[in-house]
Amino acid sequence: MKKVNALVLTGFGLNCDNETAFVFERAGAVANRVHINALVSGKVKLEDFHILAFGGGFSWGDDHGAGVIQALKLKNHIGRDLLNFVDDKKLVIGICNGFQALVNLGLLPGLDSDYTRRSVSVTYNDCGNFRDQWVHLAANDKSPCVFTKGIDMADFPVRHGEGKFIADQDVVDTLVENNQVVFQYADKKGNPANSEFPLNPNGSLNDIAGICDPSGRIFGLMPHPEAYNHVTNHPDWTRKAQELKRKGESVDPEMTIGIQLFQNGVDYIQETLF
Amino acid sequence: MISCIEIALKKELRDADASSLIKKADSYFGIDIEHARSVNIVTIESDLDQGQLEKIKNEILTNPVTQVSSLSPLDIDFDWCIWIGYRPGVKDNPGATAVEAIKDHLGKNFGPDEGVYTSKRYCLKGKDLTREDAEKMASELLSNSIIQQFKVFAIDDWDKEIGADVKPAKVILDHVPCFEVVSIDSDEQLAKISDERNLALNTRDIPVIREYFLAPNVLASRKEVGLEKPTDVELEYISQARSDHCNHNTFQGIFKYKDASTGEIVIENSLFNTYIKQPTLQLKEQKDWVVSVLWDNAGVGTFDAENNYVVTGETHNSPSNMEAYGGAITGIVGVYRDPMGTGLGSKLFMGSFGYCVGNIHYNGPLKPPLHPRRLLDGVIEGVKDGGNKSGVPTTFGQTLFNPGYMGKSLVFVTALGIMPSQVKGEPSHEKKTSPGELIIMSGGRVGKDGIHGVTASSESYSENTPAGHVQIGDPYTQKKMHDFLLICRDEGLIPFITDNGGGGLSSSVGESAMISNGCEVWLDKVPLKYEGLDMWEIWISESQERMTISVKPENLDRFMELSDEHEVESTVIGKYTDSGKLHIKYKDETCAYVDMDLLDKGFPSWQFDAVWTPPEMRGLTEPVISTPSDFNSLLLSMLERPNVCSKEWIMRQYDHEVQGGSVIKPLVGVNHNIPSDAAVTRPVLGSPKGLAFSQSLLPWYSKIDAYHMMTCTIDEAVRRLISVGGNFDHIGGLDNFCWPNIQFDEKKNPDGKFKAAQLVRACRALKEACENYEIPLLSGKDSMYVDGHLEGAFGERIKISALETVQFSATSVIDNVMKCISMEPKMAGDLVYVLGTTANELGASEFYEMFHRTGLNVPQVDFDRNKVLYKALQSAIDDELVASCHAVSRGGLGVHLPYILMGGGLGLELDLSAAPLDESCGNLSDEILLFSESAGRFVVTVSKENQAEFEQRLGSMAYGCIGTVTGAHDHLKISGLNKTALVDLSAQQLDNAFNKAFGDMI
Repeated sequence: MKKVNALVLTGFGLNCDNETAFVFERAGAVANRVHINALVSGKVKLEDFHILAFGGGFSWGDDHGAGVIQALKLKNHIGRDLLNFVDDKKLVIGICNGFQALVNLGLLPGLDSDYTRRSVSVTYNDCGNFRDQWVHLAANDKSPCVFTKGIDMADFPVRHGEGKFIADQDVVDTLVENNQVVFQYADKKGNPANSEFPLNPNGSLNDIAGICDPSGRIFGLMPHPEAYNHVTNHPDWTRKAQELKRKGESVDPEMTIGIQLFQNGVDYIQETLF
Repeated sequence: MISCIEIALKKELRDADASSLIKKADSYFGIDIEHARSVNIVTIESDLDQGQLEKIKNEILTNPVTQVSSLSPLDIDFDWCIWIGYRPGVKDNPGATAVEAIKDHLGKNFGPDEGVYTSKRYCLKGKDLTREDAEKMASELLSNSIIQQFKVFAIDDWDKEIGADVKPAKVILDHVPCFEVVSIDSDEQLAKISDERNLALNTRDIPVIREYFLAPNVLASRKEVGLEKPTDVELEYISQARSDHCNHNTFQGIFKYKDASTGEIVIENSLFNTYIKQPTLQLKEQKDWVVSVLWDNAGVGTFDAENNYVVTGETHNSPSNMEAYGGAITGIVGVYRDPMGTGLGSKLFMGSFGYCVGNIHYNGPLKPPLHPRRLLDGVIEGVKDGGNKSGVPTTFGQTLFNPGYMGKSLVFVTALGIMPSQVKGEPSHEKKTSPGELIIMSGGRVGKDGIHGVTASSESYSENTPAGHVQIGDPYTQKKMHDFLLICRDEGLIPFITDNGGGGLSSSVGESAMISNGCEVWLDKVPLKYEGLDMWEIWISESQERMTISVKPENLDRFMELSDEHEVESTVIGKYTDSGKLHIKYKDETCAYVDMDLLDKGFPSWQFDAVWTPPEMRGLTEPVISTPSDFNSLLLSMLERPNVCSKEWIMRQYDHEVQGGSVIKPLVGVNHNIPSDAAVTRPVLGSPKGLAFSQSLLPWYSKIDAYHMMTCTIDEAVRRLISVGGNFDHIGGLDNFCWPNIQFDEKKNPDGKFKAAQLVRACRALKEACENYEIPLLSGKDSMYVDGHLEGAFGERIKISALETVQFSATSVIDNVMKCISMEPKMAGDLVYVLGTTANELGASEFYEMFHRTGLNVPQVDFDRNKVLYKALQSAIDDELVASCHAVSRGGLGVHLPYILMGGGLGLELDLSAAPLDESCGNLSDEILLFSESAGRFVVTVSKENQAEFEQRLGSMAYGCIGTVTGAHDHLKISGLNKTALVDLSAQQLDNAFNKAFGDMI
């Protein structure tokens, strides 16, 4: 059976490429870690892949705005290829620094099918500092997002200093109307965080943690699904494991929402492009 | 042409940077700022037309959604404006990335006279603000004169056209590089020159150096290359190689150890050989998991069949005391190069920190270079940027307060890497240089950085002299190099690699050339940050983010191809030979030509007098404190103490799960806010195995006897590992000594002999503990001068010495991470056990410290008893009989039972009289039960179903079931010796106390 090819960007201070490639492999894809300059030089061709992942990290040290220089470099050298990739109905996911790059490229939110305009921003946390914590996320079941199909809630870690989603109110309203808001920060029951810290760790408008483009094929989020690739990643796993053990049940170490999210992407390609 | 671009957040957006200034100005100095905005300034020196500048401003530097910008000063109202910029030569990371972006975006190159420089200004509104306020904030909050400069403007003297009038902070040396010949007619003369040039040559070394250079055969061979007397380059090389940093003269020194109570004298010929090397090599024979120790940049142990792990630790104390942020970021980024330079190079997978600082609320007369509060802020931020931007999780860390650290605070940084055990069929932990191979320097460029360490700080500043002695690490450049070198390793392009740290090329090339037995170095090829460095400066500069690599000529093209793709600068700077000579040239001129074996020319060992006066003879006694009547308040006050309370805000700033392998996090429990015993990580995501890591610091016990400080510290580190599921048969150790000066001097260091004796005793204890617990020391470092001379109220300087401190780190490999456990009780109805014996051991405890007492009964470790217990507990955890486990340490049960309760969120009903008790050293009391810090203890919870099996495993060992976990309430209920109720506190009460000191910090 034909394999789904995923491209995970590396280089220039990106740093989640290994675990992102790992989850794609676990989800049944062939994952390739590719240096940005290999795409720029043409040594590697974007068209040979089905899923493009902008991973987490500190591209160019996040100087002059997180993801800004990365977006600029890609726009300058492979901007056309990126737009073709989107036109070919392939998938793009941007995580943390990758999400920041997507909004600076304009691939998100992609309103009015304009994939070059910067109309939203992911900026400095209200708490004024970098923060690593796990968050509860409520997924929007009406969202067209390919990656969150069948997911209603998820716990993932956030690890950022610039994760506050902002945009003009009318843009936010449009995103809500279009169901482009995919993930919102929530309490453990799934109710919106209502900007309450630390449930909403960065002060994002409307508790927005992740959005997609109108097609649902381009997805960006601040939390790290690839960091939930094993049951033991979850901060409460030792308690949950005890509870199950007392009931005589056991857990499959690799059945996590994190892997399921990437599985959705891989399945989508299988169903639509093969 | 010089242009300035100003960028600011739109005024309706929250300016986090300015907000934090407002907050700190108020809480630190009581200065009331009504409103503040920060402005980023990018100064470009380059010939660009208006169009290009607009393009840079709009398309690179401005986010249209969030920012406004201008090519002239932004019109932002203020009463006072503070401008902060770097001094020339200080690493300006955003400036460097801006150059990269402009090059790429405009397709233009930057010449040597062109550059980009970043700075910042703060626009402050506040009717009561004065120039003094602004200058205080500028100098004590926003800048450090060592690396930065500031200007303060009142609105009246602000020129809207010129603004802050920012000039490029570029280095102009205007100096023709040269080397000098040094005359060595007499020992006195060389000693004088050594002082003048900050060579810090040891007086005992000087005759040896002269003897070498005056030897006829040496003179003859030097003549052939046009040299006669030694050059400054050669003397700097010797100075570096013989320095305590590179040569560990203290641990290699000869100690005359006298016990004042018996008069007995013992000669210690080398603490390193006797107490570290010998036992470690012996253990290496017994333990096949020990792969490589005692010679490389880090130790190597087996992780699984395909992979080895690498571990090392460093301190970066002196620089951090002068420039906390720069020192700390340079420290963490620097220690990360050690695993990269171990064997053929390893991939970093975790780091940790340890901070020992003075009282952050200190308001006495002493003036440390940086106030402890500011120092801690800077250190935390430095490790944050260095660690996070390296993409390496910071999974463990401790912060400790003690007045002794105001003289010199300690910044410990630890690094772990993972590498395939074989590369191209060859063992990856072996490496060598061979004649004909090329010497390559990769990464950063060379400037006047770190030359002679902090001794250079006495240089006077002019506008363009580099402030290079304190550096700012550049994790971005290093991360690019890290990724690049791993690919080179896997392609088999690297026969040898090491990092450039202390001593720069002098150490990295000098030491690696000993393997091939010679080298020829072309200093004029070394890429420089700016022109005008003398040869000796290029040779010993400690500019960061550099590795030295040996590459075979036939592999050079491929190596350079990969280097270009990753945009890492790599340069051939010489070649390895077998000439037996260290041969350094600049252009065609030889500036150094010495024998590779020069350093074996019988340089004398350092010598120390050590006199041990036992605590009783020093007049220490147990304090007289009657049993308190209000244990509830006492317990809450203990939880509020700085060394006990929550420091969650520090760990939250550190990415502790990047790379996706987090298993046991640094913060655990229902509210994710209780410090974990140890961290567990999966460095190989496809494997069920995990690496457990713990650290301990118990310097307080050195007040009584550094011997017991050492044994207790190691015992705690081991128990922390066992508590998460660690394997007693695989424990790797890492010793980081930080000691005050031990060289006796009647005036300058009158208690030097005692401190020397403390060091000898600590080393003896290290050996005893490592042999008993079978811990090979995979790596270790020492920092020997943790003293400070602080100015007091009357212009006097008072010497403050830190406690004799050892941070001990321990590693273990866990076969199946699904068996790991955490410290918090999991289920109501479970039984609570105390394992290990509680004795009257309050000496130097947190409890005594609360009453400003020291005492005498310092905790002592019973290795034979503990070993048996730890193995039994390990087997019980391995067979999943244990629901939670926690090592009892600083503060005793009275502190750790609250941790456990807050972690579980369930009630605890406990009877401490049921715990194993030892009355041999005096009658027990309730405060001893609660606050004794006896070693070897755990608190464990077990389900009723597993009770019988668990107790059978422990057999006749010291354990007691002290009560149960309950869901009926969330109170900690403790009864004492005669079953009387001592403590009844709710989780909320405990949590309030635990978070009182730092709970509001983010």
